[in-house]
Order: sequence, then structure tokens, then C-alpha cells
Amino acid sequence: MSLNAGALAKKMLAAALPILTTHAVDAEAFASVEFKKIADTIVSIQIMLQAGQINNQQAELLLEMQKSASRSVLLTLKGLSLLTAEEAINAALAVVRAVVNTALKFPLIP
Amino acid sequence: MKPLPARRVVAKATRALIFTLAGLLLCAALFTACTPKFIGDYDATIDSGVTDIQQRTEVYLGKIKQDPSTLYDPNFYNDINARLVALKTRAHILPQYPIIEQQIQELQGQFDRLQTLDKGMTRPFPIGAIDAAESAITVSVESILKLELALKRGDKNAPSLK
Repeated sequence: MSLNAGALAKKMLAAALPILTTHAVDAEAFASVEFKKIADTIVSIQIMLQAGQINNQQAELLLEMQKSASRSVLLTLKGLSLLTAEEAINAALAVVRAVVNTALKFPLIP
Repeated sequence: MKPLPARRVVAKATRALIFTLAGLLLCAALFTACTPKFIGDYDATIDSGVTDIQQRTEVYLGKIKQDPSTLYDPNFYNDINARLVALKTRAHILPQYPIIEQQIQELQGQFDRLQTLDKGMTRPFPIGAIDAAESAITVSVESILKLELALKRGDKNAPSLK
């Protein structure tokens, strides 16, 4: 039996795309909530500085903490992207596993 | 041309990042026809360790909020630092854990800055400054937990974090 690349690709895309979309929406929701918190806090630092409640050095320390929090959010997004890719690839390979392995007569896709 | 609102820009960038990374990795894996694993597994010690650090921080900062004249306590920072060092060492030896290791390092940096702030701040400690520090630490802890729980990979009984 010969394999049809176009048909295989179509099946794989159909399996992977919903996973990519779902995880992208989830990651977006997470990033949006966390960045809103960081933005609100940056505004409050400016207000405290203007009111003389904290000095420049203290404002810088607090701002650095917010920057670090932003990096942590981005690292989570990176991790979630890797997980999403992993899940999408496994789903794409799973839908063509039987047909590919049968055609090749050996388990190319475990 | 009207500029896009910031939220839409972030949303578009997030989606683009995920699709690009996923697309690249998908191509790579299909080429090699293997079932890939790009990031490590859930680790209960890191999950509970980070949660524990947050609880201790809430108690310490809660005390200062209740009485802004509360004095700086170096023991709190020594304790938190020891816990973070242990967690970072664990993340370092776990397979495929560089992202969470980096996040723990970010958390360490935040506690270092909080310590500098706490040590140098004249009392009463401004509540707004405590809130700002607490918020940054909470975002970092939530980021680690969000990723850590996602590493359970489809375990239906896994707790979720919104």
C-alpha cells in the first residue's frame, strides 16, 4: 500500500490544530491576568513615589521585582508552548500511526 | 492607522509565540518520526515547596501589614533562601527542568530585593510597598505552579490553576 502525503498531512493537521488553538487561548488568558496585575502594581509604585512614600532606590527595587515577575510569566508561556507542541505532535502522529506502520510493515511510529 | 490596544497586542504575540514554537517542533518531530517529550514531568516536591514558600511569605508580610512598625527579621530571609536553594538544586538535577530552575532563580532575586527593601525601609513600612512586593512574588509563584500543574499532562485528577 502506498502512502498519500497530502491525505496524511490533512489528518495530522486536523488532529493538531484544535490542540494548538485550545492551549493558545488558555495561555493568553493566563498571560492577560498576570500582566494586568503587574501593570497595576507599576502604576501603584509611581503613585507611591510621587507621594513621597518611597524613594527612588526603593521604587527601583519594587520595579525590578515586577520585571522579574514578567520574566517568570514569559517562562511559563515558553513551557506551555513546549507542552502544547508535544501534545500536538503526539496527536498528529497517533492519527496516522496505524496506516503508516501497516504500509511500511514495521513500527516506524511507536 | 489606529494602534492596536495593548491587550490585543499581547494576545496576538502570545498566540504567535505558541504557534511558531509548536510549528517548528512539529516539523522536527515529524521528520524524525518519534514521539517527543520537550519538557520534564510534574514534580510534587517543587509544587509543595513553592506553595510553602508563598505561605510563609504571606504570614511574614501579613504581620508587617497588621503592624507596619514590625521590625525586619533576617531569620525569615535565611529560611526562605535555604528553601529556594534546595528547590533550585532539585530543579537543576531533574531532567528537562531548565525553565522551572530559571523561574526559581527569579524568585530568589525577588526575595533578595525584598530583603534589601525591608532592611532599609524606615518604619512604619508603607502598606503600598508591601502590596507591590507581595504581588510580584505571587505572580512568580503562580507562574511556577501554572507550569508545574500543566506538567501533569492530561491527568484528569490533576488540580488546575486559573
